[in-house]
Amino acid sequence: MIQLILFVGLGAGLLILIYFFALSPEPRAEGGAQALVEARHALNSLQTGLLPSDLVERVFAEDDLHFVVSTTGATVRELFLRERKRIALFWVAQVRKEVLSLKQFHSGQSRLYARLDVRTEIALALSFARLLILCRVLQATFYVGGAYAAPRVVGIAITAAGRVCTVSEDSLAFLTTRTGVLHHNAPGPRVAV
Amino acid sequence: MDVQRASDDLRRRTLGGIPRILDRFIYLASTRDYNTGLYYHDGLASQFPADVVCEALANCHREVFHQLIAAPVEDLVSQMEGYMASSQSRPQDFVAVWKGLEPYRVAVPIETDPFSAEFLFSNFKVALAIVEERLEKSPQSLRGA
Repeated sequence: MIQLILFVGLGAGLLILIYFFALSPEPRAEGGAQALVEARHALNSLQTGLLPSDLVERVFAEDDLHFVVSTTGATVRELFLRERKRIALFWVAQVRKEVLSLKQFHSGQSRLYARLDVRTEIALALSFARLLILCRVLQATFYVGGAYAAPRVVGIAITAAGRVCTVSEDSLAFLTTRTGVLHHNAPGPRVAV
Repeated sequence: MDVQRASDDLRRRTLGGIPRILDRFIYLASTRDYNTGLYYHDGLASQFPADVVCEALANCHREVFHQLIAAPVEDLVSQMEGYMASSQSRPQDFVAVWKGLEPYRVAVPIETDPFSAEFLFSNFKVALAIVEERLEKSPQSLRGA
């Protein structure tokens, strides 16, 4: 019964979100360049700084934990766990911030540049909502249980973020293919999707 | 093209003679001017234009930075012990200075994303604590590391 209530609540929440997404005011071209630059920056930040698989695997790698637990005393162990918790919280906060920035772009300016059909927009809105909920879940889990408390949720969040990045990449593709102005010169590491 | 050649030259000659990633990282950071953020290398400057040398050094710096981020804590600890042993300072002084000044904070490449930088600083902090703990347990053991 509790599960049913939770599912109904979640469904209602998502419907409300989609409703507001659909009712959001018609985007205006003014300030569009700034929005584009911010979206591109958020996307680059996610793809090269926050989601590369090797980096995320390193942050949550249990071999570091095993090494510290098996070779050091209590003081260093506590320091390590505290540091990893701080880093995990910092990571999820940064991911959330950049995802919010991308979401703002999509709910505002992207319609001016990328002709997305209604189904794609709804799917995207759901992806953003799911990802933001996952970020909150991760924040709460890291806060309570530390960096190693939810490895599966980390993986799910990374996959969801990767999907959102792919759609955003498509929406911003014209910017790089037509002008190349905002294209990153250095080939960044690949995103874990 | 020139940048690629200069980078290869740097990797083969200068960096090839520096065995540890941590030493390379510190070395490359030390070739950067604090005020301008530009990199200088006299040897390369005799073969390539200044802007090419600067870009080649910056590329190698970023490369080494990513290698350090990818290193497990255990590896970082042994690199730090090796670096400490190769420096002329007493291990206790080295640990005290690195804990106090955190010199690695000014050694990251420009435009490094905040998360990667913070992760490396955090790993350095933990590695330093492990080195310090080992020193306290057996002060003689790290001298010849």
